[in-house]
Amino acid sequence: MSDQLKSIAFTALIALVCSLLLTGAATGLKDRKLRNVAVDRQKNILKSVGLFKPNQPSTVAQIEQLYQDTIRCYALDGAGRIVAGSSDADALPVCFYVKDNRPAAYILPVDSRGLWGEIHGYMAIRSDGKTVAGFSVYSHNETPGLGGEIEKPWFRQNFVGKQIVDASGAFAAVGIAKGKVSEVIAADRQANYVDGISGATLTGRFLTDGLKAVLLDYGALSKLFRSGPVSLPAGS
Amino acid sequence: MKMIQSPTFKAFSEPVVKNNPVFIQSLGICSALAVTVQLKTAIVMALAMTFVTAFSSLTISAMRQVIPRNVRMIVELSVIASLVILADEVLRAFFYDISKQLSVFVGLIITNCIVMGRAETYALGNPPLQSFMDGLGNGAGYGLVLVTVAFIRELFGAGKLFGFSVVPQFFYDHGYMNMGFMQLAPAAFIIIGMLVWLQKSLMRG
Repeated sequence: MSDQLKSIAFTALIALVCSLLLTGAATGLKDRKLRNVAVDRQKNILKSVGLFKPNQPSTVAQIEQLYQDTIRCYALDGAGRIVAGSSDADALPVCFYVKDNRPAAYILPVDSRGLWGEIHGYMAIRSDGKTVAGFSVYSHNETPGLGGEIEKPWFRQNFVGKQIVDASGAFAAVGIAKGKVSEVIAADRQANYVDGISGATLTGRFLTDGLKAVLLDYGALSKLFRSGPVSLPAGS
Repeated sequence: MKMIQSPTFKAFSEPVVKNNPVFIQSLGICSALAVTVQLKTAIVMALAMTFVTAFSSLTISAMRQVIPRNVRMIVELSVIASLVILADEVLRAFFYDISKQLSVFVGLIITNCIVMGRAETYALGNPPLQSFMDGLGNGAGYGLVLVTVAFIRELFGAGKLFGFSVVPQFFYDHGYMNMGFMQLAPAAFIIIGMLVWLQKSLMRG
């Protein structure tokens, strides 16, 4: 056998062995990986309504149980109705924190632009349709220590209790101030802003735009909640 | 005494301190900057790295008589890449939170010059057991640097170790502040520079 042929045969053999090994590992661990991704999403939904405290040690099974007991997910069809499942292409996903069989908060997926990449998370609004119940981030590419602070509890905690409407009740969204709210925002608008992160003005600006877009998309749902108690359809 | 002088043990112990891959060979610095903000990520990264260097050296050394010279680098890379992906898969399945924090850096072990360097310079010319120990030693040497840097950065940058607060509230009440700079990559550069200095002056003595 010539040297060249030997080289080709050898590399082919190595490639075959390596690919078999990796295929085995990937298929063998697939279920576990998918479960981890699903649980991570559930954990962040729970975080957005304040049910999951940071640094609280919880097993996968505990998170799944808590999620099953408290969260119900639906879709929002084009006409702004809550439906159990929708084949409609532009139906929006929405989850509810259900307490005593009533929705205590609704949870919106946030997909925003960031400075270095996309920011993904959840924002929860209380059943009055105007008060923020919480905010969580599960994926981002912002600079650690600067824009990356958006995922930290101190920043997320500032959203709790903020308003998405202004004093007259008109839609105003919730934004990130450039600096301390008490110093840079007019008194009557302070309920619509959270303190900014120093050194992360751009991240704040992008996230402000992203939150506004999400809240506008779900504007019909917020109006529905502001107009009175909402009941959820059966099944989810 | 006999064990300490054996070539197998030497293959392990030399790269840990005397011929440390980061300090002496200046390899693997990029990831040493990136994953050392917290001790937890640094330790997992060090373990993943040690696993890859040890087993790639072992595999390549075992095949060293049969690998055709002209394709040896391709073969080395296939072995290393497979092991890295394997480590990444295991992390994703069993340590999801940590693997999320490490993000691309586990995958980038492939490009870490320590792994390829040991395969080329050591594993191709030495028997499997010694190569395995050499890989283990280099991984440990790299890990030692990572853990030391992470210890300093997490302690001074966040006042924590392994995520637990260790700086008492009393200090903060009296004006102590965490050094935000420690959380940024340049801080790791400076710490590594000082450690190289320390290591060089100790070795000379």
